[in-house]
Amino acid sequence: MNQLFMRPAGALLCIAVASLVVACAKDDVAPVDVEKQAFEDLRTEIVVAITDPVREAETIRLVGVLEEDLAALRTNIAARKIHVRELNANYDAPRAEFEAYLAGVEAEVRDHKRRVSETHRALLANMTAEERSAIAKTHTKAMNAAIKTIQSI
Amino acid sequence: MLIALFTILLLGGSLTGMLDFIVDAQDTVKVVMEKDDRRKEVLATLKETKKRTEAHNKMVKGTSKGMNTILSSDEVTDADFDAIWDAYFAQRAAYNQDMLDLRYQLKDQMTREEWQQVFAGD
Repeated sequence: MNQLFMRPAGALLCIAVASLVVACAKDDVAPVDVEKQAFEDLRTEIVVAITDPVREAETIRLVGVLEEDLAALRTNIAARKIHVRELNANYDAPRAEFEAYLAGVEAEVRDHKRRVSETHRALLANMTAEERSAIAKTHTKAMNAAIKTIQSI
Repeated sequence: MLIALFTILLLGGSLTGMLDFIVDAQDTVKVVMEKDDRRKEVLATLKETKKRTEAHNKMVKGTSKGMNTILSSDEVTDADFDAIWDAYFAQRAAYNQDMLDLRYQLKDQMTREEWQQVFAGD
Protein backbone atom coordinates (compact mmCIF):
# COMPACT_ATOMS: atom_id res chain seq x y z
CA MET A 1 0.00 0.00 0.00
CA ASN A 2 2.79 2.40 0.79
CA GLN A 3 3.81 2.18 -2.80
CA LEU A 4 0.59 3.94 -3.62
CA PHE A 5 1.56 6.95 -1.65
CA MET A 6 5.16 7.51 -2.40
CA ARG A 7 4.78 11.26 -2.44
CA PRO A 8 2.80 12.23 0.64
CA ALA A 9 4.04 15.82 0.45
CA GLY A 10 2.82 16.08 -3.11
CA ALA A 11 -0.43 14.49 -2.13
CA LEU A 12 -0.91 17.02 0.66
CA LEU A 13 -0.27 19.74 -1.83
CA CYS A 14 -2.95 18.27 -4.08
CA ILE A 15 -5.63 18.59 -1.45
CA ALA A 16 -4.59 22.11 -0.53
CA VAL A 17 -4.38 23.35 -4.07
CA ALA A 18 -7.63 21.67 -5.05
CA SER A 19 -9.74 24.17 -3.16
CA LEU A 20 -7.68 27.10 -4.36
CA VAL A 21 -8.07 26.07 -7.97
CA VAL A 22 -11.82 26.23 -7.66
CA ALA A 23 -11.64 29.86 -6.59
CA CYS A 24 -8.80 30.95 -8.82
CA ALA A 25 -9.47 29.26 -12.15
CA LYS A 26 -10.14 31.60 -15.03
CA ASP A 27 -13.82 32.19 -15.66
CA ASP A 28 -13.41 32.67 -19.39
CA VAL A 29 -12.14 29.15 -20.08
CA ALA A 30 -14.48 26.19 -19.77
CA PRO A 31 -13.33 23.83 -16.98
CA VAL A 32 -13.40 20.90 -19.37
CA ASP A 33 -10.95 22.71 -21.65
CA VAL A 34 -8.66 23.49 -18.72
CA GLU A 35 -8.69 19.81 -17.82
CA LYS A 36 -7.98 18.76 -21.38
CA GLN A 37 -5.00 21.09 -21.60
CA ALA A 38 -3.71 19.95 -18.20
CA PHE A 39 -3.70 16.33 -19.32
CA GLU A 40 -1.97 17.30 -22.55
CA ASP A 41 0.72 19.08 -20.52
CA LEU A 42 1.07 15.97 -18.37
CA ARG A 43 1.63 13.79 -21.43
CA THR A 44 4.25 16.21 -22.71
CA GLU A 45 6.12 16.08 -19.39
CA ILE A 46 5.97 12.29 -19.31
CA VAL A 47 7.56 12.15 -22.76
CA VAL A 48 10.37 14.37 -21.48
CA ALA A 49 10.79 12.61 -18.12
CA ILE A 50 10.68 8.96 -19.21
CA THR A 51 13.38 7.98 -21.66
CA ASP A 52 12.46 4.30 -21.90
CA PRO A 53 10.01 4.14 -24.84
CA VAL A 54 8.15 1.08 -23.55
CA ARG A 55 7.49 2.57 -20.11
CA GLU A 56 6.74 5.94 -21.66
CA ALA A 57 4.06 4.45 -23.90
CA GLU A 58 2.54 2.51 -21.00
CA THR A 59 2.50 5.56 -18.75
CA ILE A 60 0.83 7.63 -21.45
CA ARG A 61 -1.73 4.87 -21.87
CA LEU A 62 -2.46 4.79 -18.13
CA VAL A 63 -2.90 8.57 -18.03
CA GLY A 64 -5.43 8.09 -20.83
CA VAL A 65 -7.25 5.50 -18.75
CA LEU A 66 -7.44 7.90 -15.82
CA GLU A 67 -8.66 10.68 -18.08
CA GLU A 68 -11.35 8.42 -19.51
CA ASP A 69 -12.41 7.37 -16.02
CA LEU A 70 -12.77 10.98 -15.00
CA ALA A 71 -14.74 11.81 -18.13
CA ALA A 72 -17.04 8.86 -17.43
CA LEU A 73 -17.45 10.04 -13.84
CA ARG A 74 -18.37 13.52 -15.07
CA THR A 75 -21.01 12.10 -17.41
CA ASN A 76 -22.39 9.83 -14.72
CA ILE A 77 -22.70 12.62 -12.17
CA ALA A 78 -24.60 14.82 -14.60
CA ALA A 79 -26.93 11.96 -15.53
CA ARG A 80 -27.53 10.99 -11.88
CA LYS A 81 -28.42 14.53 -10.92
CA ILE A 82 -30.98 14.77 -13.71
CA HIS A 83 -32.47 11.36 -12.98
CA VAL A 84 -32.89 11.86 -9.23
CA ARG A 85 -34.53 15.24 -9.77
CA GLU A 86 -36.96 13.68 -12.25
CA LEU A 87 -37.71 10.92 -9.79
CA ASN A 88 -38.32 13.40 -7.01
CA ALA A 89 -40.58 15.53 -9.20
CA ASN A 90 -42.95 12.56 -9.45
CA TYR A 91 -45.28 12.99 -6.47
CA ASP A 92 -46.17 9.30 -6.58
CA ALA A 93 -42.65 7.90 -6.98
CA PRO A 94 -42.44 4.80 -4.79
CA ARG A 95 -39.75 4.77 -2.12
CA ALA A 96 -38.52 1.42 -3.45
CA GLU A 97 -37.65 3.10 -6.72
CA PHE A 98 -35.51 5.68 -4.93
CA GLU A 99 -33.82 3.00 -2.86
CA ALA A 100 -33.03 0.87 -5.90
CA TYR A 101 -31.59 3.84 -7.71
CA LEU A 102 -29.42 4.93 -4.78
CA ALA A 103 -28.16 1.37 -4.35
CA GLY A 104 -27.15 1.37 -8.00
CA VAL A 105 -25.26 4.64 -7.57
CA GLU A 106 -23.51 3.20 -4.52
CA ALA A 107 -22.31 0.16 -6.44
CA GLU A 108 -21.12 2.36 -9.27
CA VAL A 109 -19.13 4.59 -6.91
CA ARG A 110 -17.46 1.60 -5.23
CA ASP A 111 -16.49 0.26 -8.64
CA HIS A 112 -15.10 3.63 -9.66
CA LYS A 113 -13.02 3.86 -6.50
CA ARG A 114 -11.58 0.39 -7.19
CA ARG A 115 -10.69 1.24 -10.79
CA VAL A 116 -9.06 4.55 -9.87
CA SER A 117 -6.94 2.81 -7.21
CA GLU A 118 -5.81 0.11 -9.61
CA THR A 119 -4.89 2.50 -12.39
CA HIS A 120 -3.06 4.78 -10.02
CA ARG A 121 -1.14 1.85 -8.54
CA ALA A 122 -0.08 0.77 -12.04
CA LEU A 123 0.89 4.31 -12.99
CA LEU A 124 3.19 4.71 -9.99
CA ALA A 125 4.70 1.28 -10.43
CA ASN A 126 5.56 2.15 -14.00
CA MET A 127 7.76 5.14 -13.08
CA THR A 128 10.95 5.63 -11.11
CA ALA A 129 11.05 7.97 -8.12
CA GLU A 130 12.93 10.54 -10.20
CA GLU A 131 10.37 10.38 -12.99
CA ARG A 132 7.50 10.76 -10.55
CA SER A 133 9.22 13.76 -9.06
CA ALA A 134 9.76 15.30 -12.49
CA ILE A 135 6.07 15.22 -13.40
CA ALA A 136 4.65 15.88 -9.92
CA LYS A 137 3.62 19.49 -10.49
CA THR A 138 1.96 18.87 -13.82
CA HIS A 139 0.34 15.78 -12.39
CA THR A 140 -1.22 17.81 -9.61
CA LYS A 141 -2.35 20.46 -12.06
CA ALA A 142 -4.13 17.86 -14.20
CA MET A 143 -5.93 16.37 -11.22
CA ASN A 144 -6.97 19.76 -9.92
CA ALA A 145 -8.29 20.64 -13.35
CA ALA A 146 -10.35 17.47 -13.26
CA ILE A 147 -11.74 18.41 -9.84
CA LYS A 148 -12.68 21.84 -11.13
CA THR A 149 -14.48 20.31 -14.11
CA ILE A 150 -16.48 17.91 -12.01
CA GLN A 151 -17.40 20.57 -9.46
CA SER A 152 -18.71 22.76 -12.26
CA ILE A 153 -21.45 20.24 -13.12
CA MET B 1 -2.37 12.41 -6.81
CA LEU B 2 -4.44 9.67 -5.28
CA ILE B 3 -5.76 12.04 -2.63
CA ALA B 4 -6.78 14.43 -5.38
CA LEU B 5 -8.62 11.63 -7.14
CA PHE B 6 -10.39 10.55 -3.99
CA THR B 7 -11.25 14.16 -3.30
CA ILE B 8 -13.00 14.10 -6.65
CA LEU B 9 -14.91 11.03 -5.56
CA LEU B 10 -15.75 12.44 -2.14
CA LEU B 11 -16.35 16.10 -2.77
CA GLY B 12 -16.70 16.35 -6.51
CA GLY B 13 -20.28 15.23 -6.60
CA SER B 14 -20.19 11.51 -7.05
CA LEU B 15 -20.40 10.78 -3.36
CA THR B 16 -22.27 13.79 -2.10
CA GLY B 17 -25.91 13.30 -1.27
CA MET B 18 -28.24 12.71 -4.14
CA LEU B 19 -31.22 14.48 -2.57
CA ASP B 20 -29.42 17.59 -1.33
CA PHE B 21 -31.24 19.81 -3.81
CA ILE B 22 -34.52 19.44 -1.88
CA VAL B 23 -33.33 21.99 0.68
CA ASP B 24 -33.27 24.60 -2.08
CA ALA B 25 -37.08 24.47 -2.26
CA GLN B 26 -37.55 26.80 0.68
CA ASP B 27 -38.01 30.01 -1.32
CA THR B 28 -40.36 28.40 -3.84
CA VAL B 29 -42.46 26.94 -1.03
CA LYS B 30 -42.88 30.44 0.39
CA VAL B 31 -44.23 31.60 -2.98
CA VAL B 32 -46.39 28.59 -3.75
CA MET B 33 -47.98 27.90 -0.36
CA GLU B 34 -50.21 30.17 1.64
CA LYS B 35 -48.85 31.46 4.89
CA ASP B 36 -50.50 29.09 7.34
CA ASP B 37 -49.70 26.26 9.74
CA ARG B 38 -49.25 23.76 6.94
CA ARG B 39 -46.62 25.91 5.29
CA LYS B 40 -44.95 26.30 8.64
CA GLU B 41 -44.73 22.49 8.90
CA VAL B 42 -43.27 22.20 5.39
CA LEU B 43 -40.64 24.84 6.16
CA ALA B 44 -39.78 23.07 9.39
CA THR B 45 -39.21 19.84 7.46
CA LEU B 46 -37.01 21.68 4.96
CA LYS B 47 -35.07 23.18 7.84
CA GLU B 48 -34.54 19.70 9.25
CA THR B 49 -33.45 18.51 5.81
CA LYS B 50 -30.90 21.31 5.62
CA LYS B 51 -29.58 20.47 9.07
CA ARG B 52 -29.17 16.80 8.10
CA THR B 53 -27.39 17.74 4.87
CA GLU B 54 -25.02 20.04 6.71
CA ALA B 55 -24.16 17.28 9.14
CA HIS B 56 -23.50 14.92 6.24
CA ASN B 57 -21.29 17.46 4.49
CA LYS B 58 -19.31 17.91 7.70
CA MET B 59 -18.82 14.15 7.83
CA VAL B 60 -17.61 14.12 4.21
CA LYS B 61 -15.04 16.80 4.98
CA GLY B 62 -13.95 14.86 8.05
CA THR B 63 -13.51 11.72 5.96
CA SER B 64 -11.44 13.62 3.44
CA LYS B 65 -9.28 14.98 6.25
CA GLY B 66 -8.93 11.52 7.78
CA MET B 67 -7.92 10.10 4.43
CA ASN B 68 -5.35 12.82 4.05
CA THR B 69 -3.88 12.03 7.46
CA ILE B 70 -3.76 8.30 6.95
CA LEU B 71 -2.27 8.55 3.47
CA SER B 72 0.47 10.76 4.85
CA SER B 73 1.56 8.00 7.21
CA ASP B 74 4.32 5.60 6.26
CA GLU B 75 2.54 2.84 8.13
CA VAL B 76 -0.69 2.94 6.17
CA THR B 77 -2.18 -0.42 5.23
CA ASP B 78 -4.95 -1.52 2.90
CA ALA B 79 -7.03 -2.32 5.98
CA ASP B 80 -6.63 1.22 7.34
CA PHE B 81 -7.69 2.66 4.06
CA ASP B 82 -10.63 0.30 3.57
CA ALA B 83 -11.84 1.07 7.10
CA ILE B 84 -12.20 4.75 6.21
CA TRP B 85 -14.14 3.94 3.07
CA ASP B 86 -16.38 1.40 4.80
CA ALA B 87 -17.22 3.90 7.53
CA TYR B 88 -17.92 6.49 4.88
CA PHE B 89 -20.25 4.24 2.89
CA ALA B 90 -22.14 3.24 6.03
CA GLN B 91 -22.71 6.86 7.00
CA ARG B 92 -23.69 7.75 3.49
CA ALA B 93 -26.28 4.96 3.42
CA ALA B 94 -27.75 6.25 6.70
CA TYR B 95 -27.85 9.75 5.26
CA ASN B 96 -29.70 8.58 2.16
CA GLN B 97 -32.29 6.80 4.31
CA ASP B 98 -32.78 9.92 6.46
CA MET B 99 -33.17 12.08 3.38
CA LEU B 100 -35.75 9.69 1.96
CA ASP B 101 -37.66 9.80 5.27
CA LEU B 102 -37.68 13.58 5.07
CA ARG B 103 -38.64 13.56 1.39
CA TYR B 104 -41.73 11.44 2.12
CA GLN B 105 -42.55 13.49 5.21
CA LEU B 106 -42.51 16.56 2.99
CA LYS B 107 -44.67 14.85 0.41
CA ASP B 108 -47.28 14.05 3.07
CA GLN B 109 -47.33 17.72 4.08
CA MET B 110 -47.91 19.03 0.56
CA THR B 111 -50.65 18.60 -2.01
CA ARG B 112 -49.92 17.10 -5.40
CA GLU B 113 -50.39 20.52 -7.02
CA GLU B 114 -48.00 22.21 -4.62
CA TRP B 115 -45.43 19.49 -5.18
CA GLN B 116 -45.67 19.97 -8.93
CA GLN B 117 -45.17 23.71 -8.62
CA VAL B 118 -42.20 23.37 -6.30
CA PHE B 119 -40.35 20.45 -7.89
CA ALA B 120 -41.59 19.94 -11.46
CA GLY B 121 -39.20 22.62 -12.71
CA ASP B 122 -36.27 20.56 -11.49
